[in-house]
Amino acid sequence: MKKEKVLSFIYDTLFFVASMAILVALWELIAYVTKNEIPGPKPTLTVFKELMQEPFYDRGPNDKGIGNQLMSSLYRVFLGFGAGSLIAIPLGLLMGSSKLIMRLLNPIVQILRPVSPLAWFPLGLLAFHAAEGATIFIIIITSLWPTLINTAFGVSSIPQDHKNVGTAFGFSKWKYLTKILIPFSLPHIITGLRLSIGIAWMVIVAGEMLSGGVGIGFFVWDSWNGLSLEKILVAIIIIGLVGVILDKMFNALQNAFAWDK
Amino acid sequence: MQELETIETAINPTTTTPETAIAIKNVSVSFKTKKGVFNALNNISLDIKRGEIVTLIGHSGCGKSTLMNTVSGMVAPTSGTVTANDKIVKGPGPDRGIVFQNYSLLPWLSVFQNIYEAVDSVMKDKTAAQKREIVNKNLDMVNLMSHKNKLPGQLSGGMKQRVAIARAFAISPSILLLDEPFGALDALTKSDMQIELLKLWNLANRDKTIVMVTHDVEEAIFLSDRVVVMNNGPAATIKKIVDINLPRPRNKKDISHDPEYMKIHDELLTLLFHKFSIND
Ligand SMILES: Nc1ncnc2c1ncn2[C@@H]1O[C@H](COP(=O)(O)OP(=O)(O)OP(=O)(O)O)[C@@H](O)[C@H]1O
Ligand SMILES: [Mg+2]
Repeated sequence: MKKEKVLSFIYDTLFFVASMAILVALWELIAYVTKNEIPGPKPTLTVFKELMQEPFYDRGPNDKGIGNQLMSSLYRVFLGFGAGSLIAIPLGLLMGSSKLIMRLLNPIVQILRPVSPLAWFPLGLLAFHAAEGATIFIIIITSLWPTLINTAFGVSSIPQDHKNVGTAFGFSKWKYLTKILIPFSLPHIITGLRLSIGIAWMVIVAGEMLSGGVGIGFFVWDSWNGLSLEKILVAIIIIGLVGVILDKMFNALQNAFAWDK
Repeated sequence: MQELETIETAINPTTTTPETAIAIKNVSVSFKTKKGVFNALNNISLDIKRGEIVTLIGHSGCGKSTLMNTVSGMVAPTSGTVTANDKIVKGPGPDRGIVFQNYSLLPWLSVFQNIYEAVDSVMKDKTAAQKREIVNKNLDMVNLMSHKNKLPGQLSGGMKQRVAIARAFAISPSILLLDEPFGALDALTKSDMQIELLKLWNLANRDKTIVMVTHDVEEAIFLSDRVVVMNNGPAATIKKIVDINLPRPRNKKDISHDPEYMKIHDELLTLLFHKFSIND
């Protein structure tokens, strides 16, 4: 058992290293082909190190360290994601448990879901009179749909057998909710949350390009205006890594609440 | 568990006047399916006295579970009425304990919790300690004490079935509805459980009414006062009700040599396999 685990860990690591090697090689190739118009890994690493010297410096509203930028993006994502989830989970529970509510609300969801969250930005500006509010607003909208749909699906797919237990032993509404409905739906809800935070992290970058101020998206835009492609590449790498970490966090949550294995 | 011989001997059943515990009256059940209406049961009537043990037997799909479910309240008759404990059945109730054919355990709750939640739901006036004690007592009865913290996914089929049995017993209902409760058990465990069932029935002064579905002819004879043989569906009816007039307590080993036993055994087999013997 233990030996197998060690072995699989070694394999995982080897494959990860190989994969990164391919990425770096491709990157080098692109830098070579574009005659370093797109900077290669080496100059990017230099800039990365520079940025990491003092990631949290603060020299006024338009000049902050990359750590500060990242933190304000994460703050917005978690605020918007939190608020969105607080709307999506109860609404999903309702839609999943009542055919009537499902049929009433599902068409609305179907129409609004495919709309790019950025389209809501002007409405957010109008409502909150501030870019900050508008950015959080679009994150709320973004985080809504996957969680809502997965929660509703989870609840509506509770097997008859499980419901029968509640009926046969006269479970109260509360007991049914806490001992049958929520435990069964939880893995679905977490899947929804995992999808939501992934998309929210993608949308925040675009949102901050629109809103300006502080944030990793603004940092990308600012670096473009300052003509520092290296900084943009550093930002892309950081955005990717943070995305992976967020995803792993929710993956761990999924495993923690999986009852079916 | 217990030696098979001495079981049931220590008990002196109080003779109460037999009242009707379950009255099934002109019950028909049809299901709406995509292909139209399917008539499962057709105009079934059956009275079961308090303290009786009745088994339902019949070929797969004939409607045994459906008939049981009209008593448990999980299925509403399309026409006719079912009365249990003098009340018309409109849904499940704590006076009827159910063991489902497919165990129906909640996979995210431990063995202990699965039983505890049912007890907690039914016995609202008891303290948590009392409820825990009830659960433990019933776990002990089905020999699952050492597995009480496992999840259903970690149990064998027979163990799951025993949890379901313990859960139904734990709420101490006056009517026990058991849908193939021993179906997934090996012969030894099955014997033990049958005896446990009779022991419980005796402990409750033979006052509990037990309705049980089984495919096992020997089991039906060993346990029952009457065996209800059902016709094949669709629109199943009762083919015949066979009285088992073997004196209690019954001894599993001796009973099989009893001429009366052999006669009943023969009769049941003929009723069940009539179709095939003609075609052969
Ligand atoms: N909910 C339902 N919807 C439609 N048809 C049903 C439903 N429940 C049962 N039936 C049908 O009613 C008939 C009787 O089913 P039932 O489960 O009562 O049989 P059974 O005698 O218990 O069989 P088994 O011995 O295999 O458990 C079957 O033909 C089945 O397909
Ligand atoms: Mg059945």
